[in-house]
Amino acid sequence: MTQDLFRNMSEAIIAGDRTRSAALAEEAVRAGLDLIEVIEKGYVPGIQRVGELWEEGEYFLPELITSAEAMKTAMAVLEPELARQRIKARTSGKVVIGTVEGDIHDIGKNLVASMLQAGGFEVHDLGVDVALDRFVEKAEAVGADFICLSALLTTTLTNQKRLIGLLREKGLRDKYKVLVGGAPASAKWAEEIGADGYAENAVSAVKLAKSLAGKA
Amino acid sequence: MNHPLLDLAGARPVLLDGAMGTELMARGLPKGACPEAWNVDRPEVVAAVHAEYFAAGSDAVSTNTFGGSRIRLGGHGLEARTYELNFAAARLARAAAPSGKYVAGSIGPTGKFLKPQGEFTEAEFEDSFAEQARGLADGGADVLLLETHYDLREALAALRAARRAAAIPVFVTMTFNAFPKGFFTLMGDSAAKCAAELERAGAEAVGANCTLNSEQMAGAVKALKEATGLPLVAQANAGQPELAADGTVSYSQSLEDYVTFIPDIVEAGARFVGGCCGTNPEFIRAMARTILEGEFP
Repeated sequence: MTQDLFRNMSEAIIAGDRTRSAALAEEAVRAGLDLIEVIEKGYVPGIQRVGELWEEGEYFLPELITSAEAMKTAMAVLEPELARQRIKARTSGKVVIGTVEGDIHDIGKNLVASMLQAGGFEVHDLGVDVALDRFVEKAEAVGADFICLSALLTTTLTNQKRLIGLLREKGLRDKYKVLVGGAPASAKWAEEIGADGYAENAVSAVKLAKSLAGKA
Repeated sequence: MNHPLLDLAGARPVLLDGAMGTELMARGLPKGACPEAWNVDRPEVVAAVHAEYFAAGSDAVSTNTFGGSRIRLGGHGLEARTYELNFAAARLARAAAPSGKYVAGSIGPTGKFLKPQGEFTEAEFEDSFAEQARGLADGGADVLLLETHYDLREALAALRAARRAAAIPVFVTMTFNAFPKGFFTLMGDSAAKCAAELERAGAEAVGANCTLNSEQMAGAVKALKEATGLPLVAQANAGQPELAADGTVSYSQSLEDYVTFIPDIVEAGARFVGGCCGTNPEFIRAMARTILEGEFP
């Protein structure tokens, strides 16, 4: 019975069906199920499968977005109930993310933010054209584990390097894992500027952040 | 719709131009500044880039209006100047064009998403593009080049807007990623589907630009060719950009490597060939030798 419910939850995420995914979450709350188990055995396998389908070239951006939205809708039902029961959902970590100053491109950044959130991270999205100081201020304020920097232009990509310099100046470099992405970024670039990692796309960004969180 | 530029493509491959934004940056456009503003503020610089491309052998150049839709200019607070900046861009390109050369009015994507992924409706996109198209056509563009579109629905909205606003031919190029199963947009539409739908909606030419390097581009042109009888447009990137830690930018394809695949692109069926990111007047000069002096049917 519970197994069927878990499978339905997973399927609702894979189908990107927000209505169904929220209704199933409400059903779980009413039935008094262990909500941590509901998240980890019901919803998480769904979003993981979505990532696989994307990697296989079956799913594209619209499917990723609708599935991530379905995941958020379910979490919006479950989180207040977890809070009421004074249970802390296990978060994968806290992320501050944004597109660096001088750059207003946000398609990739939004997708990474959505997938990280769907992947269990607490995400603080600062938007686009974000001053480097603001990344640091926000990370300090929320006690972030990760600072994720996006840039689409070769001219603004250098701000990723500057952010790392800024962290060093403030003596905060070792406090955060800095992840970089964007069309002109690469693993080589990440290494050259002393970032903690590079991800080519939203699905690998979640994997990368999870593997680094595991090590932390 | 008849146009001498389409007639020329019937006779031989037509050479377009290469990148504009990087050329403007090399001439002092500050980081984060709106390139379209220079159509009014620094028209002589934009005109000099066009002149270099014409001198290198371009039959047609694209206006400095890639981000000139109302929605995109809104990101710089310049939305009220949409018509003005596009009109000025077309007019200055026209003035830079020697007799017998042509101007394509560039219309890039909004950078936003339609519902349900985004906030915008197709009608809002259409209005945003129509104002741009009207400025370009009134300023003297010969054709409109809707380029680098990653969403077929947005490209179709732009095509409808162009039709509504202007009585000149409309070319549409989509940007595709190469997958084991073929060429697809970010949104998951195949090259064949894009070509067929754009043809049905009345485009005069369709094609591919950006993202793909010149070797991959030949494959994308083949895929488009199987789905449409329209003239095809191909403008490949010089591979992927790489930034060294000291800030210097290079592209993964050298000029020699890039040009090696131009005959393949033409043989695959492209009738309008140019460059995209990472290309410059030197690339166009080399392509001119290959295309114009080559023996192509």
